[in-house]
Amino acid sequence: MSEFHLTEDQQDCLQELINIAMGQASDQLARYLDTFVYLKVPSIESVAAVELIQTLSQQQNTMAVVSQGFFGYEGIRGEALLMYQEEDSGRIADLLGYEPDELSQDEQLIDISSILTTTFLNVFAGQIDNQMSYNAPKLLPSIQNSISEHLQQMTFNWDLALKVNINYQVTDYSFNCNMILLIPETAIINIKNVLDRILAEF
Amino acid sequence: MFDLNALLTQKCSTESTLTESMLKQINCQIANQLNTGVLVVDAGFNIVLWNRFLQVHTDNIVDNIIGQSIFSAFPELPERWLSRKLTSVLQLNTPSFCSWEQRHHLFELPHTRPITTDSEFMAQNCTFLPIIIENNSKHICILIEDVTDVCHYQGQLQKALDEVAQLSRIDGLTQIYNRRHWQESLAQEYAKARRHDKKLSLIMLDLDYFKLLNDNYGHQCGDMVLIEVSALISSLLRVEDLFGRYGGEEFAIILPETNLAGAKELAQRICDKIATTLLNYNAEIIKVTVSLGVTQLNGAEANYEELITKADEALYQAKALGRNQVCSAICAKTLVID
Amino acid sequence: MSPSVLICDDSNMARKQVLRSLPEQWRTSVQTASNGAEALTILRDNSVEVLFLDLTMPGIDGIGVLQGIQKLNLNCSVFVISADIQPEMQSKVKALGAKEFIRKPVKSDILITHLQQHGLL
Repeated sequence: MSEFHLTEDQQDCLQELINIAMGQASDQLARYLDTFVYLKVPSIESVAAVELIQTLSQQQNTMAVVSQGFFGYEGIRGEALLMYQEEDSGRIADLLGYEPDELSQDEQLIDISSILTTTFLNVFAGQIDNQMSYNAPKLLPSIQNSISEHLQQMTFNWDLALKVNINYQVTDYSFNCNMILLIPETAIINIKNVLDRILAEF
Repeated sequence: MFDLNALLTQKCSTESTLTESMLKQINCQIANQLNTGVLVVDAGFNIVLWNRFLQVHTDNIVDNIIGQSIFSAFPELPERWLSRKLTSVLQLNTPSFCSWEQRHHLFELPHTRPITTDSEFMAQNCTFLPIIIENNSKHICILIEDVTDVCHYQGQLQKALDEVAQLSRIDGLTQIYNRRHWQESLAQEYAKARRHDKKLSLIMLDLDYFKLLNDNYGHQCGDMVLIEVSALISSLLRVEDLFGRYGGEEFAIILPETNLAGAKELAQRICDKIATTLLNYNAEIIKVTVSLGVTQLNGAEANYEELITKADEALYQAKALGRNQVCSAICAKTLVID
Repeated sequence: MSPSVLICDDSNMARKQVLRSLPEQWRTSVQTASNGAEALTILRDNSVEVLFLDLTMPGIDGIGVLQGIQKLNLNCSVFVISADIQPEMQSKVKALGAKEFIRKPVKSDILITHLQQHGLL
């Protein structure tokens, strides 16, 4: 157990914060998309870097990966990866309220990713009295091993990642994606401090 | 003698206590000297402010742009799409982005590299930021970054990468596929044919007495023959056929969705064409022939390499039977039995 | 006189948060459950008067508990405390007999107002 791993209490606290953020984000999304969003509780795992690279490179049918950096006060920063499978991405333009010929498939993926990431992380930041800024989302090159290559070439050293599996089911549209939050080592310590502060209030 | 310390303290204190109006001036001047366009619209998408960067980059200046709808001030904007995007910023209170990689530009602004780039307008990265001010009214700040240079160099880089990729697939002498790329293609075609239960044939061919040709006329003549023969064969192929130089004077052709009969027919045509074409080298007429081995996928192979082996065996048989002819893997087998 | 209270949530922190938001005099007679099955066992065997119920839990979820309460015909006031705050979910739990839908994170003043509205305080 390294200093970067969360204790049971910290994990529980983070899960609850994420559930609440997810709930509020889904509510906002449902209003914006004008449709009901069935929400499953996101499962959260902290994964070692090596393991994650292995798991991700084994995922054969990942069609697209969108990356977006986020940074807030108190050194809370990282990168969100949104991963899509071929069959989940057919009706994104429709879901977003665009005409399909108004934007390319790439732009649809980038747009929905940005909306999911920023809506969720904004609410999450609010829970911990923080505020987030974001980089422009980027579609990673569509070569099969691009994810593990990307992870290996990342600018910051990271040891642990938070894997948040989000499953959105939207009436009339089938939509699914996985969100992975990659958190650099120093930011994990900062998050743990924030969680401890919240836990101390109880 | 004056008190330097007192003077310094005094100076520091005046500097550190900037009034609100002074700070406003600083902010205002920064905004106007930025090399980024700043445009703020209200919740009805009417323009509230714009900075100097945009003012100097907009040619068709409207008299009073403030208060105008962004869509009438900039008629080039895709209204329906952008309205929806701006709505997401207001409603979700989240930033939104638009990259040149997906949309080269939103605003039709001139750029400062008019000659060296191929686009008339400035390539842009646009960011849409939610702004909430004290009376709780919502605004959107649009940042327009000039990324014409990035776009230009990325284009150059992509062109260079495409060329490198192309070069790495091509045999320098004959301009047909090199062995590495040809073999990768075979692996793919083999997998595709197995998966979809499709036909696949292979021709391996070799120039007859090539060593002798080199010895008699020199290597430059040998090179000329390789080039001419490659061109002759290429002219007989379909676009989907994959033709490569396998080794020195050995060539190979992958024929997707082709059965053995079709492959043999093509091989015979190649054989005849080369045998009947006279080549010129330094005013001398040169006649060359080829031997060809043909095989087709029958489903019993363990891997694609076995296909090559079978075609190679047939080619060896064609050589053994006197060259300038076609032999198929099946006839090779019957010969052995005979 | 404080009623017997059950707090059901799979998160330890969330349970503590509810407990902390309760009126002072109630905090002595509180039981907790970390999933729906556990909650139903306690509900069946004891006379729980007020239940604070989370919706999304592994196994039997909050909806399952509400259905169980209806089936067993238990007389207990249920306050759903959930992160899933979409209007459809709110009407769904009310249709299943929940007195009130309270959004997470729960705040003491809001909880107490709801308890007063339903004559429990």
